[in-house]
Amino acid sequence: MPGLISFLGDHFDAFAAGFWVTVRLVAGSFAIAMVVGTLIAALRVAPVRWLQRLGALYVETFRNVPLLVLLFISFAGLRRAGVDINAWVAGMGSLGLYTGAYVAEALRSGVFSVGKGQIEASLSLGLSYRKTLRHVVLPQAFRTVISPLGSLMIAMIKNSAIIGVSLLALPDLLKQARIVSSQTFRTDEAFFWAAVGYLVLTVAATLLIRGLERRYAIRR
Amino acid sequence: MTYLFDPGNWEWLFTGNNARFILEGFLINLEIALIAMVFALAVGLALALARLSRNPVLSFVAGLWVDVFRNLPLIFLILYLALALPTAWRDVWEENVPDWAPEAFQSGFVFAALVGLVLYNSAVLAEIMRAGILSLPRGQSEAARALGLSYRQSMRHVILPQGLRRMVPATVSQLITLNKDTTLVSIIAITEVMRRGRIVTSSNFFAAVEAPVLHVFVFIGLLFVLVNYALSRLSRRLEIGERRRSGAARMEVKGLEDQIPAAEPA
Repeated sequence: MPGLISFLGDHFDAFAAGFWVTVRLVAGSFAIAMVVGTLIAALRVAPVRWLQRLGALYVETFRNVPLLVLLFISFAGLRRAGVDINAWVAGMGSLGLYTGAYVAEALRSGVFSVGKGQIEASLSLGLSYRKTLRHVVLPQAFRTVISPLGSLMIAMIKNSAIIGVSLLALPDLLKQARIVSSQTFRTDEAFFWAAVGYLVLTVAATLLIRGLERRYAIRR
Repeated sequence: MTYLFDPGNWEWLFTGNNARFILEGFLINLEIALIAMVFALAVGLALALARLSRNPVLSFVAGLWVDVFRNLPLIFLILYLALALPTAWRDVWEENVPDWAPEAFQSGFVFAALVGLVLYNSAVLAEIMRAGILSLPRGQSEAARALGLSYRQSMRHVILPQGLRRMVPATVSQLITLNKDTTLVSIIAITEVMRRGRIVTSSNFFAAVEAPVLHVFVFIGLLFVLVNYALSRLSRRLEIGERRRSGAARMEVKGLEDQIPAAEPA
């Protein structure tokens, strides 16, 4: 046990740098996923058939393809094709587009969870379609999706580890653990502290969501 | 776009045995997923029962176990096991793998990969099973106990048959995630579809025909989309059937990315 703690002390900078890279990767990807997810969810509930199909095509494609395949396509594939894409863009883009499909599904089911009667009532009260969406549907939909979005955030923290080990080689937490482990030959200690780092992130996300839920969520 | 659809860039697929080489690799992924699924179901059931048990120590340990392995990145587990499992264990695997198993399975690292996949997925499945069991009305177990069945008997004959039925759709969804996750074993040098894709893009077997990275991995991605789309349709179908049969509301499992409640068109 004292060995473990002094090990962390010796390599704290490497772990902290990796932790920070992971945090930035997740934050950037989450922003992309929210934007993409909202757009796709809007397509899927649009009153036009072919727009709905387009949204469904996106969701079914990105949800069923392995993230590692997306990373290969977006980095090695595009580079070979002559697109000069950098590792951060490829990594956050892949993780964001991938999770965007799940976000779209979560938002869509949130929109549908607002009863049809409420929408009809609001329209018959003379609110426009836009105003109904803005004042009746979205505030409620947002509150039902807190919990699924939280699960996605946690999944994202875990999936971000794939970026560091694939050929993008961004120095995230797992990558740093591997570097430290190969320098010191102390695999157990290095991976132990990386595990602690990931658990700190996932537990922090869990607590944050639980707090938000307690405040805003509506149970159905 | 023109680059992607240029027929010249797809010629590699019809050259030599490239297509077959990739498809065989994909089959290895599916096999790894199936084997891991079978073991994860068994371990997951044990974990779920332990977590629901009335013994507080057992239940706490199982809960901690599930929460830790569910919250760690799977690639972390696989990498760690590949580096840290004693070489002797890998040797035991290599000696005992039957000769007829595909070549990729002869490597001892497959053992590490399977252990990682089972550890992670059994934790996830344990939560799915627990949710299935808890979704049963209390009256079921109370009635069973009132009829004089012991705890074991009521679990075995009343609770589990009903509870486990309810988890089938969620388990099929989890199989989709597991399918995708099998690509991670390429990181520890198992020659499944991702490795084979890289071999195809880098090899000079068919020097005249270049296999662009983009196209090879788009093709591999399409294979996954095809199989997983079929699985997701199946899962949806099972779920609707189950709901019609039992009249139960959709079972919700917290904290799983793949278990987003399906939208109910009003």
